[in-house]
Amino acid sequence: MINIALPKGRLGEKVYKMLASVGYGCDEYSEDSRKLVFKDSKGEVSYFWVKPADVSVYVELGAADIGVVGKDILNEYDPDVYELLDLGLGKCKMCVAAKDDWQDDMSVPLRVATKFTHTAEKYFAQKGREIETIKLNGSIELGPVLGISDVIVDIVETGSTLKENNLRVFECISEISARLIANKSAYKFRNAEIKKVVEKLSEVTKR
Amino acid sequence: MKFRIREEQAVAGITALFESYGYKNFKSGCFEEYSLYRENEKFLVGKNVITFTDLTGRLMAIRPDVTLSLIRRTDIAVGATEKYFYNERVYRRAAGGRDFREILQTGAEVVGVIDSLCEAELAELICKSLQIISPSYAVDISHVGFTEGLLSEFGSDGEEVKNYLRRKDVHDFLKLAENKKFKIEAIDAFIAAVNSDGDAEKTLELARRNILNKSMENAVDELEKLVRRLTCAGFGDKISINFSMANDADYYSGLVFGGYIDGVPQCVLSGGRYDNLLHKFGKEGGAIGFAVYLGELERYFAASDCIVDRLIIYDDGSEDEALKCAEIAQRGGKSVRLCRSGQQSALRAVEITDLSSGG
Repeated sequence: MINIALPKGRLGEKVYKMLASVGYGCDEYSEDSRKLVFKDSKGEVSYFWVKPADVSVYVELGAADIGVVGKDILNEYDPDVYELLDLGLGKCKMCVAAKDDWQDDMSVPLRVATKFTHTAEKYFAQKGREIETIKLNGSIELGPVLGISDVIVDIVETGSTLKENNLRVFECISEISARLIANKSAYKFRNAEIKKVVEKLSEVTKR
Repeated sequence: MKFRIREEQAVAGITALFESYGYKNFKSGCFEEYSLYRENEKFLVGKNVITFTDLTGRLMAIRPDVTLSLIRRTDIAVGATEKYFYNERVYRRAAGGRDFREILQTGAEVVGVIDSLCEAELAELICKSLQIISPSYAVDISHVGFTEGLLSEFGSDGEEVKNYLRRKDVHDFLKLAENKKFKIEAIDAFIAAVNSDGDAEKTLELARRNILNKSMENAVDELEKLVRRLTCAGFGDKISINFSMANDADYYSGLVFGGYIDGVPQCVLSGGRYDNLLHKFGKEGGAIGFAVYLGELERYFAASDCIVDRLIIYDDGSEDEALKCAEIAQRGGKSVRLCRSGQQSALRAVEITDLSSGG
C-alpha cells in the first residue's frame, strides 16, 4: 500500500481528483467528509489530509511515501525528499511587492515582511542586499501599509489583494506550482509503485 | 511473527563482522580541541558542536564524529594500509532534530594505499552490516567523479543543476536548460543520471552511453568493476546506482555510499572515499569508510516485537522438561525465557515452545 499526504483545501481536492482519474480513487472519499484518513477497498492506496505546510514533514519523516506540496514550501524548508513531478496546479508566483511609489534606499537595510523568511533571506543574499526580516503569519500586505516594512515577500496569484492595498509587484523570485514529492527510503523500497503513480500522473499533466 | 534485531545485537554482529575482516578497534577520547572541528567543518555531518572550556582554558568539544579523530591520530607508513572499526557515542543533532543527542555510531575506515579490491571489500562490509540489521536493506552507490564531471558540463550553473540532480527534479531543470540553452547531450546525460536507480548494471550501461568527459568515463569504469564484484558476491539485487547522491565534492573524492533499511525513513548509512581529508592533515594515500547511524535506527529497534529468541511455557507437570529444554537452547546461543502457563500474554519471542498440558 502506498501512503499519500494531501494538502487540505482546494488544491488537495484537485489533486485527489487527478489521482482518482488515473485509478487511485477511494470509495470512502467524500468532499463533505471530515475524515482525515481514507483508503481504497483494494488496499493499494491510503490518503490523509494534512496542513499544506506540513506535507513535506510527513513525507520526509516517512509517515507518507509521497505527497503533494507547493514549491513555495519546498523552497522555504528545503526538505530532504525527491521532487518527482510538477503537477501544474496551484500556479502562482513568489514576489517582492511594495507600495506603488516605493524606491529602495540603499543606505539602510531593507525591511522585509514575510511568512517565507528563508526564501527572502536567500533571495536578497544572492543580490547582496542587506535586509531585516520581519516574520508575519498572515495579512502580510499590511507591512508596508502600516510602515513596519519597506517591502513584502509573498505569494501572488492574481495580484488583486496587492492592488486593493495600493501595492504592486516589483520583482518575481520564482514560479510556484504543486509538486509531487517522495520519501527517499520509500522511493527505494516501493519504487515500482511510486513510479507507476508518477507515470500515470505525468500522462494527465501532459494533456 | 515479525522479528527485529535489537540494538546491542546489531552492534555485536557488526563488530564481529569487522573483526572477521581483520579490522582493528579504534578508540577515541570523548573530547577534542574545538579547533579540530572548526577547521574541518565541511567534513562534519552537522555544524553544531557542544563546546566547553577545560581546566587550562582551552576551548574543547565533545566529539560529534569519529572520523576526524581517527584521521588525525593515524600514522600510516608509506605504502601501508590500515583498517579500523569503531563503536562510539557521538554528540550532535540527529536528523530532523532540534536538540543535541547522544548517538551510537559504528563504522569502518581504511587509510593508506586503497586499491579497487579494498573498495570492493568495504562495499561488501556495507552490505553485510545492513544485512545484520535487516534482510530488507538497499545500498545506493554513486561516484563524485561522475556527478562532478556531469555538472562541469553546465559551467557556472553547475551548483543549481546539482540541486535538481539531488532532488531528481527534471521539470525545473528543463526550464533552466531551455533558458540557458544547454547542449542536448548534457541534458540527456542529466536525465539519465536522475533516472539512475534499479538494476545497477543496466544503469551503468545507460551512464556509459551518456559519458561526456574523462572524469565521467573513469568513474563509470570504477563503478562497473565494483558492481561486478558485488554482484559476484551475491549482493546484485541489493545495490543500485543513484547519481542523485551528489554529495559534497569537498569531502568525497570518489565512490559514495548510502544505505537504507525498509521501515526507516532516513538514510541509515553513509560513506565513501575521502582522500581530501587525509591530505588536509598532510598525510599521503587515500581513505575510504562508512558509518552506520544507529541513532537513526533507535525507533526501529524500539519497535522490536521480540524480547527473547524462545519462550518456553511450562506448568507443574513440565517444570523439569522446561529447564532442560531451556539449557539446550541456551547452549545453542539462544536467549530463553521460561514462563508459567497462563502468564505469557505480555511476553514476545521469535519461537514459542508450549510444554504445558494444554499446549
